[in-house]
Amino acid sequence: MSIYLPIAEISINIFLLISMGGVVGFLSGMFGLGGGFLMTPLLIFIGIPTNVAVATSANQIVASSVSGALGHWRQGLVDIKMGLVLLFGGIFGSVVGVWIFKSLSVAGQIDAVISILYFSLLFSIGTLMLIESSQVIRDRVRKKTVKKKIHYHNWAHRLPFKTKFYTSKLYISIIPPVIIGFIIGVLSGTMGIGGSFILIPSMIYFLGMPTSKVIGTSLFQIIFITSIVTILHATTTFALDAVLAVILIISSVIGAQIGVIVANKLRGEDLRALLAIIVLAVAAQIATDLFIAPEDVFNFSNMVNIYK
Amino acid sequence: MKNKFYILSIIFYLIFIVSAKSLVIGSDEDEILIDANFSGQDLLVFGAFYSDPSQPRDQKGDILIEVVGPKEDLILRKKESHFGFWLNSKKVKFRDVPSFYYLSSTKRLDEKFLKKNNIGLLLTDQLPEVNWSLITSDWGEVTSNKEREEFYIALLRNKTYDNLFRKTFEEIQIIDGNLFKTNIPIPNTVPIGSYKVNVYLILKDVIKNKYSYNFIVKRVGIENMIFNFANNSPLLYGVVSLLIALIIGWISADLFRRLRKA
Repeated sequence: MSIYLPIAEISINIFLLISMGGVVGFLSGMFGLGGGFLMTPLLIFIGIPTNVAVATSANQIVASSVSGALGHWRQGLVDIKMGLVLLFGGIFGSVVGVWIFKSLSVAGQIDAVISILYFSLLFSIGTLMLIESSQVIRDRVRKKTVKKKIHYHNWAHRLPFKTKFYTSKLYISIIPPVIIGFIIGVLSGTMGIGGSFILIPSMIYFLGMPTSKVIGTSLFQIIFITSIVTILHATTTFALDAVLAVILIISSVIGAQIGVIVANKLRGEDLRALLAIIVLAVAAQIATDLFIAPEDVFNFSNMVNIYK
Repeated sequence: MKNKFYILSIIFYLIFIVSAKSLVIGSDEDEILIDANFSGQDLLVFGAFYSDPSQPRDQKGDILIEVVGPKEDLILRKKESHFGFWLNSKKVKFRDVPSFYYLSSTKRLDEKFLKKNNIGLLLTDQLPEVNWSLITSDWGEVTSNKEREEFYIALLRNKTYDNLFRKTFEEIQIIDGNLFKTNIPIPNTVPIGSYKVNVYLILKDVIKNKYSYNFIVKRVGIENMIFNFANNSPLLYGVVSLLIALIIGWISADLFRRLRKA
């Protein structure tokens, strides 16, 4: 059974869309990812124009992160103060990001920059996380008791404007979270994603937040960032497909709820190892596109209607 | 059944009036409606032709059918390897390219004939003789004729791959010597707009008669409403989409919490 998408202007099998939404939703609930970095390439892969894929997945991320964030919220796993500090930086960052996106598009280099950015970020983060989590898992298997530090003492503790984040049991400067939020906002505006796959490891490794609180807090912040992106796309690229969005939203929120349940049954390091593997798999996919000669070196750009 | 009867009676009618004219065509559609269930459609074109009663049957001429979709601008990019990376580098913008093009005839027609009669996609197949001045394009960094030709072939190849360009010499059925019928596959990716159908009667390599008509591809129902909403009031459309996302997200979280408690 096919359904015609009014903005994408093509018809697609509805069950394919539902199962895609479900799988991405599951991963997003499990890891606290918006899932944009998986959803966007998948949509493009099944033939949705790139601009529609980016705009619509931003809208879908809003729903799945609301659903996921509420699940974490009820369990007291959202650090609202930290979320707001990140968001403060994020709003400025997304404005800068959209500006960069426009300039690169005018220069005709946006595709290349995005591919390289994606690959380098995903590859380095995936590798770091995989190394770290596998060490923890190895220690656990060997029944080695590792002395657990209550908190890290790094550069984040030596900067001014220190404040207490009670939920995360942290007493650090607000400068690092604002900077991280800003960077995520820039990436979000440039790459059209929520940015949680960068946000989550940054919160764990740079801010020293507990893994259990990181997911809910990141979801909380992503709701706002992707809301801004949704409105921006609806008004500037006209590429938001409401029919596609509703199908993806309904299937992904169901998947997300199941993901939250599964996540509660897994240990932090196992979750991080799984996430690392997924991140590396996406990096490998991007690398294939970047390094292996394409079947046809020529391709149509669907930017033509936006940047006339 | 009713439909068949309808078509048959039109065909008999066509045979009746065709003695006065040499080419008459009919079609079952003058518009193709895109609704939620649209997954492509076959466009039936049929008619009758009658050239010269004194000639034997096999010399009664040939039929050529051409369908040209609304024009669009396209950007075609070429990937090149830089330090091992395959990156989009050169690009060409083609202007006023038919978004859909279909050519079908009862016999294989040579390029000379098509070119002489101004039929065919931008008069192309004889590439060494491509008349670049006929194609409005921003060539950008692509300066050599050889490379332009390469881009041009790629444009046709990609469009053909998407089922939007098609050329065939086998699909028109001739019934009883004077009647012809063909189904033109319209894929689900066709853009909306006005399409032109040209039917030619060819006799001894000369176009004897030509008949043209238009049909329209348009969105209807909820698909049309959403499209217009998105384009006419984008801010409101964005806000509504956002609210839908927030509400569904909220409701689902609530629903699942209750389910888990139960």
